[in-house]
Amino acid sequence: MSTAYSAVGWNRQKKIYDGWIAAFCISYLALFISLTLLFNSEATFETILIRSTSTLAVLLLHIILSIGPLTRLNKKFMPLLYNRRHLGVTMFSFSAVHGIFGIIQFHSLSNTNPLLSLFLSNTNYGSIPAFPFQALGFFALIIFFLMAITSHDFWLHNLSPIVWKTLHMFVYAAYILVVMHVMLGVIQYEKNPVFVLILFTGSASLIILHLLAGLKERKIDKMKFKLQEDGFVYVCEADEIEDSRAKIFCIDQERIAVYRHEQKLYAIHNVCKHQGGPLGEGKIVDGCITCPWHGYQYLPHNGQSPPPFKERVSTYDVRVNHNKVWLNPIAFAEGTEREGALL
Amino acid sequence: MNNNEFYIGWMPAAPKGYAKQVTIAIVVVAVLVLALASLVSMQQKKFSNSVFEYGQLTEVTGIYQQFPVPSIKVYTQQNNGSSFITMPLVGYGKHGAEGIIRSLEEERAVSLDQKQITLKGTLIYYDGKSLLQIDKHDKPLLSIAATLSSSHQPKTKELGTVDLIGEVLDPKCYFGVMKPGRGKPHRDCAIRCIAGGISPVFYVRQQNAGPLYYLLLDEKGNKLNDFVKNYVADPVRLTARAVQVDDWIVLYVDTKKGLQRTGGLSWFKENDELIYCKPE
Repeated sequence: MSTAYSAVGWNRQKKIYDGWIAAFCISYLALFISLTLLFNSEATFETILIRSTSTLAVLLLHIILSIGPLTRLNKKFMPLLYNRRHLGVTMFSFSAVHGIFGIIQFHSLSNTNPLLSLFLSNTNYGSIPAFPFQALGFFALIIFFLMAITSHDFWLHNLSPIVWKTLHMFVYAAYILVVMHVMLGVIQYEKNPVFVLILFTGSASLIILHLLAGLKERKIDKMKFKLQEDGFVYVCEADEIEDSRAKIFCIDQERIAVYRHEQKLYAIHNVCKHQGGPLGEGKIVDGCITCPWHGYQYLPHNGQSPPPFKERVSTYDVRVNHNKVWLNPIAFAEGTEREGALL
Repeated sequence: MNNNEFYIGWMPAAPKGYAKQVTIAIVVVAVLVLALASLVSMQQKKFSNSVFEYGQLTEVTGIYQQFPVPSIKVYTQQNNGSSFITMPLVGYGKHGAEGIIRSLEEERAVSLDQKQITLKGTLIYYDGKSLLQIDKHDKPLLSIAATLSSSHQPKTKELGTVDLIGEVLDPKCYFGVMKPGRGKPHRDCAIRCIAGGISPVFYVRQQNAGPLYYLLLDEKGNKLNDFVKNYVADPVRLTARAVQVDDWIVLYVDTKKGLQRTGGLSWFKENDELIYCKPE
């Protein structure tokens, strides 16, 4: 980690990850192009380029959208999440080749500006079968573009994590636009049920993965805490929390992580300041609570990132009485020192 | 899960448990990549063997005809030279040929209609039909011969009124420049081509044979590009007076009845009054 910004903070893992991305993309394109030329030899260069890049981008988009729920369901997928931005930028690059070449192919060398032509050639906006599907792809591409150019911690800090995260949540809107772009576009020409089946399988898989991950999260959020004493809420037995690890409790719609470290319990807000990662699913490494998503770190007793980093999260009072853990859900200001509860 | 294992992206290596899981993910993605690339590429519709001789200029000698669409009637060696093919002319990009012809006529101060000329252009051909793309940058008009006798005037034959289901397409793309050159993915391009002056062609499917192609004009014989451009790529029904003009059939479309979108399923119904271009 570093406090300075560089285009890509290369390390061994990122290089391996990018190597696999390149290998998959090259394999896909090589196979698609060679099989098309072999079995459909009248194909033109333009059509092969448009179709190979678009289908690859759709495949990458499904993989990207699977990574989030997969890591919620199984933490061992975390390496895929850590480097997801590289996959996103790669997906955007192929989408851009598809989109830009499509605009050149279908709209250039005419009596109208190609970008105006995109919106004004087919104006059947009120008809589903005749709908101008290319406009849908264009708006999806704009979202991917905004995501790709802000896919860096520089923008995360300057836009603020909330704005940045909100912008990047638009990927779901872009996904819907892409599905409609395909369904109202090429599928109406190709009509082969295989294509509908592939897209349906992809969408259904994503929906199921997100529902399963949501159900898992919901279990934490729906936990009931009935016992209260002086503003403290009974949450669990002390030995339920493993050393250097935490348990997450959702009280009054706030998620709080209670960590066990060196025979003490500490409570901090569960949401990492970097990208909203679940701090309670992290681990104490070198005396610091370490976020499982991107390795951002906080000191357990004050919720502050160790210098020179400046991130801070809220802290909470926690106490232990006869092995019972009691938590006060009223947050202290971010970075406030709390001494923790001795076990 | 081993509690001691914890993944941090900025560390040099992932713990063994994580690395194993990622290896499984890599294998799954590899299978997906190979399966999808194979499936998607091989399940595409077959592309036509239409030809656009891009970058290759051909000299064509024949009789220029302004009507029904700008075209050149080229006699072949078959049947003692009495056979011919009428090649509609198109311009560069998504433009018709009328502008270029007009400027050539102004340049030479002569009407080219019904004159034997030699043009240099790019051939487009498929399914028994040919077109010629001419580009002013290529200086396409090589020569003009004298006005011809009336024996070369187009032969016309009334075929009656027809009611047809088909698709309006731009012939330049369909007969060679793009693949696919018709249908929904190509709709915007076809609209631009027709809006740019390329004469539209009506494409009619047959159940057990190849498609039929008709030139489209309005009931008075005028161009109807603006009238049809919003119906491009949709199955539509039209009513028209059909007239065979040499080796093309021209549909004089009843614009009062207009074009009616019929929905995709209508493609599978047989047109019950197909008309064919028959040699005299």
